[in-house]
Amino acid sequence: MRPAPAAALLFGLAAAALLARHTASVAVLAAGLLVVCLRAPASRRWPYLIGALGSALALFVLTPFVERLPGTVYWTGPTIPVVGTLDITSTELSGALFNACRLAAVSLAFAAYALWLDHDRLVQAAGFARRSVLAVALATRLVPALERDAAGLVEALRGRGVEPEGLRGRSRLVSPLLAGSLERSVNLAEAMEARGFGRPGATRLPQPEWGLRDRLALVGAVAAVVVGALWL
Amino acid sequence: MALARAQNLSFTYPAATAPALRDVSVCLAPGQVTLVLGRSGSGKSTLLRAFAGLVPHFHGGHFCGRVDVAGLDTRKHNPARLAGTVATLFQDPEDQVVFTRVLNEVAFGLENVGTPAREIEARALEALVSVGAEHLSGRLVTELSGGELQRVCLAATLALEPKLLLLDEPTSQLDPEAAETLVELALRLARERGTAVLLTEQRPALPLEVCDRVLFLERGRLAFDGPVGQAWAWLEEHHPLFVSAGSDVGVHLHHPAEVACRLDQVSYAYEDHLLVLDGASLELGRGEVVALVGPNGSGKTTLAKLAAGLLEPLSGRVERQGRATYLSQDPGRYVFCERAADEVAVGVEGDSASAGRALAAVGLAGFDDRHPRDLSSGERERLALAAVLAPEPDLLVLDEPTRGVDPERKHELAALLRNDKARATLVVTHDIAFAKDVADRVVSLTRDRELAYA
Repeated sequence: MRPAPAAALLFGLAAAALLARHTASVAVLAAGLLVVCLRAPASRRWPYLIGALGSALALFVLTPFVERLPGTVYWTGPTIPVVGTLDITSTELSGALFNACRLAAVSLAFAAYALWLDHDRLVQAAGFARRSVLAVALATRLVPALERDAAGLVEALRGRGVEPEGLRGRSRLVSPLLAGSLERSVNLAEAMEARGFGRPGATRLPQPEWGLRDRLALVGAVAAVVVGALWL
Repeated sequence: MALARAQNLSFTYPAATAPALRDVSVCLAPGQVTLVLGRSGSGKSTLLRAFAGLVPHFHGGHFCGRVDVAGLDTRKHNPARLAGTVATLFQDPEDQVVFTRVLNEVAFGLENVGTPAREIEARALEALVSVGAEHLSGRLVTELSGGELQRVCLAATLALEPKLLLLDEPTSQLDPEAAETLVELALRLARERGTAVLLTEQRPALPLEVCDRVLFLERGRLAFDGPVGQAWAWLEEHHPLFVSAGSDVGVHLHHPAEVACRLDQVSYAYEDHLLVLDGASLELGRGEVVALVGPNGSGKTTLAKLAAGLLEPLSGRVERQGRATYLSQDPGRYVFCERAADEVAVGVEGDSASAGRALAAVGLAGFDDRHPRDLSSGERERLALAAVLAPEPDLLVLDEPTRGVDPERKHELAALLRNDKARATLVVTHDIAFAKDVADRVVSLTRDRELAYA
């Protein structure tokens, strides 16, 4: 399948998850996208899965503490200044589950995009806004680059006899990771400019014709949005 | 007739206190191969960037004088406009790759310069054929070795059929065999097409044999400009380390008294379960410097990490006496602190006295308050070296410490490593001249994972 209709289909599924009103519908969408991600190579999929499922789990855990909705009270905690009395109610829990499923579905749609799509072809297929599409494709590649850099930083610390253990130890990697990725992006920008990027009159490699699966994916994308808005 | 010309070129980077180039005048003729030599930070890369238009358009800064390439004034034509006329191959292939598939990567420049769509694929494939990489056309760039990736980047520059080819230390990531092949290939193709080539290198032995002309930069000034025949004599007189393997740097201790690290029949495999090392044994004695050489992919880095304790062997035993530190490849990327002194003190629990001594040992005395990311690449590498020297380890493991380091700095590094008689040192290197210069023993690892001792 061509990457543009595949991206459209993933976008449609993510939009459906945002438009749907029932937790079960959103959960089914998230589960389907999880299956797609799990079929990617194990070495590549784990940062995306940790990011997507971890953030959804964090949302599920934290939401009941910051929301104040009526319902059956399952737990009452201490009273905290400004926030008030902490409690967990049935309504808060169901709302948290719904939002966590939504976040998981959207994150997993992005993970499937990053793991499965041929970004080169997506950039080349972009009829307009090619620069923006290229920027998104390069940003997508940042995740594995950050992973490699993080491994390099850990190795550099261990090479000096320092073990970066625990949350505090790992947190010292954040700033160098950010600075390193900025440096990488400057180097890449320089190389791209030297290769003529941004010059008017650019052409592109001819693209293959659209097939039946591509058309079906596009129809599926539109259908997902409509169904998500009206029935899910 | 000159194809490209720099006239009275001076350039200062933004926020820099000293100019990177001072009153440089150079003419480049079609078909001529010009080698630019000089110490780290002498302005070699800046000169190449000036011919590509990246200086001043990309970097900003204060630019004086004039640079013309094929009649185009670089002050009026930005790098994108000069692309195609000029093509640049940078040091690190990973920092110049845009696409994920090889064919698309080679086609990127052709697309940008407006090559007719129906010709792009044929020209990209032709460029890949010319560098012997046609079999890689459908591969992902992430699957390629450093040598293969640099070859693909070379194809991407040659596909543009430039009039001026700029090669900025293109072999610094490669083993000697791959480096030799790449330089010979680039220069042969350039000569066949009448392309002017401007090349910088820190391992000048091979380029000195194949270039026509040599420039030598000293602190941004052109100290020598002449044909290669005269360059040999000038270098022997003024910078002999650029044309010789170096002189003795200390007493070579052939019979170490105490073993600091012993690897006994160690094996290792990564996640793909292919054995990288199979039953390798090695002893490192105090006061001894051992160089570990071998082609890319032979397991040198793995052996070094096992010795330093960063990896645990699948089988076999590693015994170490005392503390080991390890300097990874490309250490300048891995910076943690905002002051050089703090960076060095990371491994000594903030002990500023130890950090100061280590900084002085690598020639960075007085750099304590500088931000590590403001240092030049050579200075950053030395800073990283200071960070692993500061704990005064019993075993020091260095992985490719001479990458991008000029011959004179290499000689100083060799002297520094040989200076400590209480420490065992293992140096992984592709640089055979440096290995001979620094080591008591050279251990060669082949692709069959066999160790040979010399």
